[in-house]
Amino acid sequence: MEILKNFGFDPILLVAQIVNFLIILFILKKLLYKPVMDMLKKRETSIKEGIKQAEEGRLALEKALEEEKKILKKAQDQSKKIVEDANTEAINISKEIEDNSRKQAEKILEEARRQIEQEAKETERRLSQNITNLSIELLTKSLGQMFGEKEQKQLIEKAVKELKGKKS
Amino acid sequence: MVSFAAEPIFRLGFFSVTNTLLDTLIVDGVLVGIAIYIKKHLKLIPGFVQNISEYAVETMYNLTESVAPERAARIFPFFATFFIFILLANWSGLIPGFGTIGFYEGVGKSKTLVPLLRSATTDLNTTLGLALVSAVATHVISIKIIGIKEYLGRYFSINPMNQFIGFLEMISEITKIISLSFRLFGNIYAGEIVLGTIASIFAFIAPLPFLLLEFIVGFVQALVFAMLTMAFMAILSTPHHTEAKEVSHK
Repeated sequence: MEILKNFGFDPILLVAQIVNFLIILFILKKLLYKPVMDMLKKRETSIKEGIKQAEEGRLALEKALEEEKKILKKAQDQSKKIVEDANTEAINISKEIEDNSRKQAEKILEEARRQIEQEAKETERRLSQNITNLSIELLTKSLGQMFGEKEQKQLIEKAVKELKGKKS
Repeated sequence: MVSFAAEPIFRLGFFSVTNTLLDTLIVDGVLVGIAIYIKKHLKLIPGFVQNISEYAVETMYNLTESVAPERAARIFPFFATFFIFILLANWSGLIPGFGTIGFYEGVGKSKTLVPLLRSATTDLNTTLGLALVSAVATHVISIKIIGIKEYLGRYFSINPMNQFIGFLEMISEITKIISLSFRLFGNIYAGEIVLGTIASIFAFIAPLPFLLLEFIVGFVQALVFAMLTMAFMAILSTPHHTEAKEVSHK
């Protein structure tokens, strides 16, 4: 104990120093280590979160780009198909129209031909009628003086019969 | 020549305030100031001061973790506080004016200079106090982690051979306190004496290398004290049956 006294040992000072140190230990623990460590941990988690989010964002962007490409390709295909369809349809329609018009033309032509034929027939008929009438008139006029009434009639009938027979 | 004992500056009743106690209070004040400043300015995006403090805290924590991975959270505050406090106390003695500004006491031949401030660690009371705190904290942590039964098993045994080892363990605990306190006290006190002696021979330039040396010694002694405390805590809080396993892990 004498040695300790020589070194300046003093129980009160010793206790004072111990209390001092414990107080500073407590204060540093509360004010320095804990907040700083918490902050470090917080920053670590936030950085991790940020990196994760960035990665997620990158993936989402990639996916979106791929999707976009897909959609674009689909749209292109569709538009191509639409154009093709329209083309074939147009060709079909034009063909149909052509057919129709040809048919119509033929029909009109046929009609015209028939009409012409009919008219020609009618004309012929009327002509033959006229000729018959004319010939009857001619016969009556020319034979009237030569034959009697009875022969006249017989002759005319015969001629008419012959004419008609010829005609038919 | 500076005396071993710290010189009282004034008295508060029966309590004499010494120059080393004043230095302790100054160091405490600086530490608390720094801690409050950092705590107030703590942000997610760190500034210069926060970067430094974060670096220091993280480095010390990682060092603790490398020695005692599972018990780092418990040991770290002691390690860090011992280190910071002793470091500042050691270095405070190197500030110009410490140990040189004071008043004269006594008359005639026995007239001596009493410095107003003296490095806290040049007082055995301080270092012994720190060593006692270190020892008590070590044992408390040990009991809390490995349990009272295993803790006592280290010192007491029915087996006479183990009881002898337990006896040696007890002595080693006491010597730990003595070695911790006297190592720190002796180193820093001797440093002060050397500086004073050199300064009394030639006060200009000559003390510079010694100042630099003391600067390093102050750092090394703070680290030694803190590291030893950490090592004792780690050793005493390691359960016996897992000791071998832990060693084989590394």
